[in-house]
Amino acid sequence: MTRVLTTRGDAAPRSSASAGTTGDAPRSSPIVPLVAALLVAGTLIYIKTADLDAIETRSLAIGELLVRLAEHVQLVAVSTVVVVALGVPLGILLSRQAAGPLQAPVLAVANAGQAIPSIGILVLLALLYDVGFAMAVVSLVVYALLPVLRNTMVGLRQVDRSIIDAARGMGMGSRRILFTVELPLAVPVMLAGIRIALILNVGVATLATYTNAGGLGDLIERGIVFYRMPILLSGCLLTIALALLVDWLAGVAESRLRPRGL
Amino acid sequence: MSEQSTPGTGTRSDVMISLRDVSKRYSGADAEAVRPLSIDIERGEFLVLVGPSGCGKTTTLRMINRLVEPSGGEIWVDGKNATRVDADELRRHIGYVIQQVGLLPHMTIGENVGLVPKLLGWGKDRIRQRVTELLDLVGLDPDTYRSRYPKQLSGGQQQRVGVARALAADPPVMLMDEPFGAIDPITRGHLQDEFLKLQARIRKTIVFVTHDIDEALRLGDRIAIFDENARLAQLATPLEILTNPADDFVRSFIGDGAALRRLALLRVGDLPAVPGVGIRDGVEVEPDETVSAVLEKVLAAGSDSAVVRGRGSLTVQDMLLATAVRDESAVAT
Repeated sequence: MTRVLTTRGDAAPRSSASAGTTGDAPRSSPIVPLVAALLVAGTLIYIKTADLDAIETRSLAIGELLVRLAEHVQLVAVSTVVVVALGVPLGILLSRQAAGPLQAPVLAVANAGQAIPSIGILVLLALLYDVGFAMAVVSLVVYALLPVLRNTMVGLRQVDRSIIDAARGMGMGSRRILFTVELPLAVPVMLAGIRIALILNVGVATLATYTNAGGLGDLIERGIVFYRMPILLSGCLLTIALALLVDWLAGVAESRLRPRGL
Repeated sequence: MSEQSTPGTGTRSDVMISLRDVSKRYSGADAEAVRPLSIDIERGEFLVLVGPSGCGKTTTLRMINRLVEPSGGEIWVDGKNATRVDADELRRHIGYVIQQVGLLPHMTIGENVGLVPKLLGWGKDRIRQRVTELLDLVGLDPDTYRSRYPKQLSGGQQQRVGVARALAADPPVMLMDEPFGAIDPITRGHLQDEFLKLQARIRKTIVFVTHDIDEALRLGDRIAIFDENARLAQLATPLEILTNPADDFVRSFIGDGAALRRLALLRVGDLPAVPGVGIRDGVEVEPDETVSAVLEKVLAAGSDSAVVRGRGSLTVQDMLLATAVRDESAVAT
């Protein structure tokens, strides 16, 4: 078992994260991180070898790239943590019987959050309050809350009623059932939702540049504003590489955290 | 008819479960799901609730461990008013087996069986020992199955685990809701046989729900037949129900062949045999064999009579007529 996953090139094709399917977690194929590494290497080689002017050289210095990358990762990490911290408890609360009437309105709000373009929220927040990291995180959270919230609810709802019935019949209280039966059985669906939120955040965080929160979006925006293709291209390629890597890591985590026996 | 085959001394204190005017009406429903119902179930008795869907049999069962709260009446379990005690605590002392089995898929077989003992705060070693004992009891090798997950087992094996899990804390009462209903007919037959043997050893008080009258006749010490309007049509032993159905509903629910089915419930030891020997080629049988099994043996041997050990001889005609005579006397009364 231990040597299977390292070298074989015939790993199953990976399912798209955004599809939100609850199917088997994909094998941790080494192809995706390899592609990401190639993208990064390609970008770096291009930067080293291309004939760059002063603006390009300054924007594409290794130190500058690392700062932008770190900003981007920080945006994604913080907003995903906040999304999970909000979405999972909210989803659990809403799936309790007593909260039945609240389900529809809360889901409607979360739906609206995802329907409204993030750039709109960003600009609105900047106009009403301020620019900066916190505002960027707020708009990322609003945008990515829905998949976590909805998948938590769906994950809990799809737990086989007869299993819960048997657990009650054995004398388990509702809190114990939630933590030892319902949540573990909902984990695969919940993880799929968190993975979607993560990927959404990697993409949408490129817009954080408009609220002065940095990130790889800085490169893209600067490339457009100054009409410098090398900067634009590097920003795009690095974002793609990051998205692929994050998705791959999330996939690995998904299959690791999935309870055994399911 | 002579004494019944229910175990125990028959004193009132031997009542294990007592339903007293128990009823259930769901809010918004016109009719009662369970009409006021009073049944005493004795310690060690195997009571089967049978009837068409919607007759309230499952609701009745689920009221005993309060998965459904009764709208009226009282339920006493083992001398305690079950409607007054803590529901979770009550359920930990009542075994519960359902058709869908409901094993927790993310826990091993061993963890599943050990669930209730763990809830009751047993120590690790004691739970482990109990799990071994129970898996042996239901015919699953503990070393092989303890660490497997439910989905690695067949439906029949899963239900064995379901039974083991219900028995884990050695509860005096078992509630079983169509436990063999989703299992293929051959395996179901095996499980029924094994379960009867198991019950002969462990002598639990069992309330068992099924819609299959044959299963009811095969397993029950007594059978309660409900009609689709939740009316208790008859509560009697299987033999009594076949011999003397209370009304047209019971008659139609039993279906055809009541006389022949009765042969599978009567034992040759109960029939008046002709004492003495001198039978030419009678087939030797034990008194506790059923008439239908003995008939099968006699016919298969090409003979026309059986010698019941210690009793005497019976001809094929004796056996058939003995049941017929009972039938007539029953109808006449």
